[in-house]
Amino acid sequence: MHALRNVLGKMPLHCGVKGIMKGKPMPTVTIDGYKVEVEKDATVLDAAKKAGIWIPTLCYHPAVSCDASCRLCMVELDRGDWRQLITSCNYPVRRDIVVYVSSERAQRARRGVMELLLARAPESQELRALAERMGVKETRYPNVTESQRNCILCGLCVRVCEEIIGQSAIAFAGRGAERTVAVPFRQPSDDCIGCGACAAVCPVGTIKVRIHQEQQEVEISPFKSRAKLVVCEKCGAPIISTPVSEQVLGKIKNMSSEEFRQRIRLCPKCRKSQTAGRLEAAMVYKKE
Amino acid sequence: MTGLGNTRLSSFADLERMREELFSRRAPSTKSVHVCTGPGCAAKGSPKLYELFCAAVKQAGADVEVQAKAVGCHGLCEYGPIVLIQPGNIFYQRVEEPDVAEIFRETVLGGRVVERLLYENPATGEKADTVDKIPFYKAQKRIALAYNGLIDPTSIEDYIVAGGYTALPKVLNGMAPEEIITEVERSGLRGRGGGGFPTARKWRSCREAEGFPKYVICNGDEGDPGAFMDRAIMEGNPHSVIEGMLIGAYAIGSEQGYIYVRNEYPLSVERLNEAIEQAKDLGLLGKNILGSSFSFDIRINRGGGAFVCGESTALMASLEGRPGEPRAKYIHTVESGLRGKPTNLNNVETWANIPQIIKHGGEWFAGIGTEKSKGTKVFSLVGNVVNTGLVEVPMGITLRRIIDEIGGGIPDGKRFKAVQTGGPSGGCIPTEHLDARVDFDELTKLGSMMGSGGMIVMDEDTCMVKVAKYFTDFLQKESCGKCTPCREGLSQMLYILDRITDGEGQVGDIEELEILADLLEGTALCALGKTAANPVISTIRYFRDEYDAHILDRHCPAKECRGLFRYEIDPEACKSCGICLKNCPADAITGDKKVPYVINQEKCTLCGTCWEKCPFTAVLKV
Repeated sequence: MHALRNVLGKMPLHCGVKGIMKGKPMPTVTIDGYKVEVEKDATVLDAAKKAGIWIPTLCYHPAVSCDASCRLCMVELDRGDWRQLITSCNYPVRRDIVVYVSSERAQRARRGVMELLLARAPESQELRALAERMGVKETRYPNVTESQRNCILCGLCVRVCEEIIGQSAIAFAGRGAERTVAVPFRQPSDDCIGCGACAAVCPVGTIKVRIHQEQQEVEISPFKSRAKLVVCEKCGAPIISTPVSEQVLGKIKNMSSEEFRQRIRLCPKCRKSQTAGRLEAAMVYKKE
Repeated sequence: MTGLGNTRLSSFADLERMREELFSRRAPSTKSVHVCTGPGCAAKGSPKLYELFCAAVKQAGADVEVQAKAVGCHGLCEYGPIVLIQPGNIFYQRVEEPDVAEIFRETVLGGRVVERLLYENPATGEKADTVDKIPFYKAQKRIALAYNGLIDPTSIEDYIVAGGYTALPKVLNGMAPEEIITEVERSGLRGRGGGGFPTARKWRSCREAEGFPKYVICNGDEGDPGAFMDRAIMEGNPHSVIEGMLIGAYAIGSEQGYIYVRNEYPLSVERLNEAIEQAKDLGLLGKNILGSSFSFDIRINRGGGAFVCGESTALMASLEGRPGEPRAKYIHTVESGLRGKPTNLNNVETWANIPQIIKHGGEWFAGIGTEKSKGTKVFSLVGNVVNTGLVEVPMGITLRRIIDEIGGGIPDGKRFKAVQTGGPSGGCIPTEHLDARVDFDELTKLGSMMGSGGMIVMDEDTCMVKVAKYFTDFLQKESCGKCTPCREGLSQMLYILDRITDGEGQVGDIEELEILADLLEGTALCALGKTAANPVISTIRYFRDEYDAHILDRHCPAKECRGLFRYEIDPEACKSCGICLKNCPADAITGDKKVPYVINQEKCTLCGTCWEKCPFTAVLKV
């Protein structure tokens, strides 16, 4: 095997060596005339990224599973005698295919979807910025669906909470135009640990982490779920939500160092100054 | 069950022996009374009729060989409750409780026909004493509904005597799976749930897909408004579905099947459960069916009434216990369906056709229909048509024949305007295309579709904009809301349609609707969204002038949209009786004795009370 690799390694790349080395053929995706090779079952979006071609996305995030629900990443797939609009984020490449990102129909489809989203979430700066990048300045539609203010229902928050955090504290509720992202019974919920992953992943800035200094609580808006904050023993600055801290500590319970336990009760700033203080003391000691 | 006890059949010979024994036990002289207990007749009180007939049979004593049967839908629901007397094929319509004694005495015991209960052809006044003479049945051809109305759906013996479970042993005893698929391919059968995908091709892909276990699913989530085709089959002949699934499972290599029925069909669930139990008792379901190495089991799952769950991927998500939302089908369900395993899903009617195809051969089935649409299709014919009901017609029959010949035309001397085929996401077909053939591709070309078989006939008093709004509203409410175009786009379309029917339409609204329709078709995630604009697009295509009248003239030509027409009193027809004046809640009518009354248009709230109350039809919509 080593010998074979050596031989192959000396061959020029365009002989399809990579394909042979991996043991399976690499299908080619031709995007707007550019050819790229991708692994079998990679998506059209992966291929576009490789080719350096931008396709707008909203409900796509590499950390979580793909839902293809926002329909913003539409591109045209050449099927020989006809062309089909497909979502690039989940279309698996299994053979050599030809797609068009900047064809007139693909652009019209993406802009149409964006206009509908703008009508739904007119206040989101993030969405406006993305729309502008796509060449959409205004939406022709009025705001007729108001199930949840400024939420485009992409579901990234729901997926991150379920798949990455493992809490499933939020989920979709209602159907059709009534659909919302909600906590159980729309009541503040203990299932929410206040980690803020949903806010971090929200592409339109609708979910926010609010710190209530007085009550020493963190609130995830708009779900109204609150969690107690661990505050710095020294300066009183909020560090992390208590349930998150407990979960993390639960995972490292074998570590019994008292010093470690003390140090995590400090905010990063105080921790730094504590370390600096010790270093200083050590240097003074050394000098002496 | 009246018969042979729970003898488990362990070979093909056992089944044939049972069939022969059942045959010999039923003396040819036995008379039977078939009371339709399909949804239409049941709503009109047929279960009570059945009870009365049973009591009459009991009273008649043992020396009279007669039996009463509750059977599935006969089809002519408009004339229900229907009672059929065998032998003789005597067809009684609109039977009421007091008629039972007379029918029993005269026809069953005396052999005489009760004239007044016979069907009378409204056009010719001719009475039809047998089923074959009724025009409603003449143009029909029954394959999926073949045993409906003949057999007792709660009796597996009835099904066996009628010739059921003959295809299954034929398949298990000497047909290779590939042969079965070839036979189905030869028949040209296409999916009856709406898509029209070639059944054999689906089976073959599933058979060839890698992975185990493989599943077969029967889609009984019939959610179209006004449709009851699948329901009639599940309630009228559940064993045909089970036999079809057994054959399909054997061909595909599956050992587990599911029937997904909507919970709004409690009788379907009950009948299917009963049928599955009976088949299990006889060894026609379960391990080593009829002594062969083939094992297969069926479970029933009830759906919660979401229209979108009729979509295959949403149905599978629901079966898995997740919310019924569709997913992309770039990887087909035959490859990765239920629980990520190869899954073959067919509609109730498709499954019910399978035993007949195996029994009579694919060639026979392919002999019926058009070049690319073979066999028959069941439609529920409803709306402004004389004979509403369930019809099964050969493919290729024209819409005109279905509506005029079978349906008996439009009631009250009104003119035909359009027929809506294909359920809520189908389209409206106008008069000029009435000679179009019922064929998957032809209906699609006309901007409608075959769908699962809803057929709504509309007369001249129907506002097509309102029709489009009704279906858009239905789909907007039934959209799962997962993808942007369907959730937001349908809401926007509905907003525009609302505006038009309220008389606030703007120039350019039609174009806006067309842009949204194009967007939905291209970008929606599932078939519900992709076809959701069909009602709007097809009505714009054929009835653009009605849209224009609403928008430009603020007038509803069909006089259905409130506010877009006026009420006026015809001075010639007015008899000055004063009923309208007395009933008008807005004091908008003035008049005196011997002088025709007049409506003050400024005061009129357009409630329509005067129009309803006038005994001389002197109040007109203009």
